[in-house]
Amino acid sequence: MSQPDTESRRADDLDSYHVIDCDCHYMESFTDVAEYMDEPWKTKFEGSNFDEKGAKQNLSSFFPFSTGDRQAHGKITREHSSYPDSPETPERIREGMSSIGVDETLLISHLILAGAGTTADDTRQSAFAKAYVEYMSEEVLDPDDGIYGLAPIPYADIDASLEILDRIEGSEAYAGACFVTAGATPPLGNRKYDPLYERCEDMGLPAVFHTGGAGLDEYVRGGYQEMLETHTLGFLESNMSQIVSLVVQGVPEKFPDLDVAFMESGVTYLPSLITRLDEEYLKRPEEAPLLEKEPGKYITDFYYGTQPLEVSADPEFLEKCVDMVGPEQLMYASDYPHWDYDRPTTVIDLPFLSEEEKRGILSENAAEVFGL
Amino acid sequence: MSDGLVEVKPDDAFENGDREFVRVDGTEVGVLQVEGEYYALQNYCLHDGGPVCEGKTHRKLLGEFTEPGKRVERTYTDEECVVSCPWHGWSYDIETGDHLGNGDLSLPTYEVVVEDGVVYVGDLKQP
Ligand code: FES
Repeated sequence: MSQPDTESRRADDLDSYHVIDCDCHYMESFTDVAEYMDEPWKTKFEGSNFDEKGAKQNLSSFFPFSTGDRQAHGKITREHSSYPDSPETPERIREGMSSIGVDETLLISHLILAGAGTTADDTRQSAFAKAYVEYMSEEVLDPDDGIYGLAPIPYADIDASLEILDRIEGSEAYAGACFVTAGATPPLGNRKYDPLYERCEDMGLPAVFHTGGAGLDEYVRGGYQEMLETHTLGFLESNMSQIVSLVVQGVPEKFPDLDVAFMESGVTYLPSLITRLDEEYLKRPEEAPLLEKEPGKYITDFYYGTQPLEVSADPEFLEKCVDMVGPEQLMYASDYPHWDYDRPTTVIDLPFLSEEEKRGILSENAAEVFGL
Repeated sequence: MSDGLVEVKPDDAFENGDREFVRVDGTEVGVLQVEGEYYALQNYCLHDGGPVCEGKTHRKLLGEFTEPGKRVERTYTDEECVVSCPWHGWSYDIETGDHLGNGDLSLPTYEVVVEDGVVYVGDLKQP
């Protein structure tokens, strides 16, 4: 192994590729977003006793009622981001991007991740998502500088979701629509969501499904005690649920020109899901009458964010997984500034990829999907 | 008659839904009468060797996407055109032998001829 360059920490490697990050998390502030809310939410929101970014991390660290401690109880810190202690700012986003060698980025809402799957009341999510869309486009997004957004879709409320899609139509700042996969009930292949996919397809807007639901108390069953347990399982469960629902209910057949991407569960879960679903389908094909091919073949038509890439796996196994999904379906995603973010070097270092495949994953595939 | 024919039984001894089993070149072949038509397929499921020709014959469920937001319309074909293996449910088009879920999987099928009131299994159909 060559001498570690502790000075540059691989800046040369990062500089040699153009990088688009398909999944960067912008931690918006409740206070900032409230400015853009409609009433009565504006008044309610401003008067509620939130810290400006919502529930405080230090509270949830002890009583893990929503997340568990993402920063592993003080072990993980971020030099170039305000997360998790204060809201993010546009300047800090640029700083974070440059610190990890990202040239263009797609921001998703941090707060919506926790709220999207809540089912008690759909008006809160809609109020938040609408205000977020306004706030981001006014104050944060800057397509001329490579800073794009994904518009959160409060899918439990179809009308509000369609309003958001109307609002961002033709906007250069929004490159996709974001559906949080945690908690979606009924699951996202249900016909009730058809109008959203139809609209996205018409607009040429990719539907990006972002996982969630990995906190101790958000996971599908209670009683786990460590983040390691639920964070390993929860993201997979949320994405797998929606992938299976979309495919079996025939969304790709109904909307053949809709680009679909799934974020934040790595890649090794896909071969097992593909093979398992295909195996079941051979025994019960009559339950998916819209399908024109095996379900796994639709799964490999979807795109996937790479993070958190299982780089410690046996390279032969990882190569097989990448091969099954198809390197042309993969798009680099950092998940920055979260605790388990990936730098572009995770892709650059994969020994089995050609230069062309690396360039594809690091930027070209995303440039095509998102029309950047 | 060519020598390749294997006798099954008289046509008038067949009733709708009947299955008979004969050996053709060492392979067990199921002969089925379904809604007045004869079919002959290898009686050895491509999944794991189950007796597929003993399985249920049934109509095929079709789905039609009519409009976003509307239920997918599910209708059955008019005719019974599927045979499903009783072991785990692999379902094959009774005419072509193609698996309904993956046409790359195709169960060998055979010609059936009726000559002088007798049903015979003929040649293996070429895919
Ligand atoms: S042996 Fe026929 S379905 Fe399993």
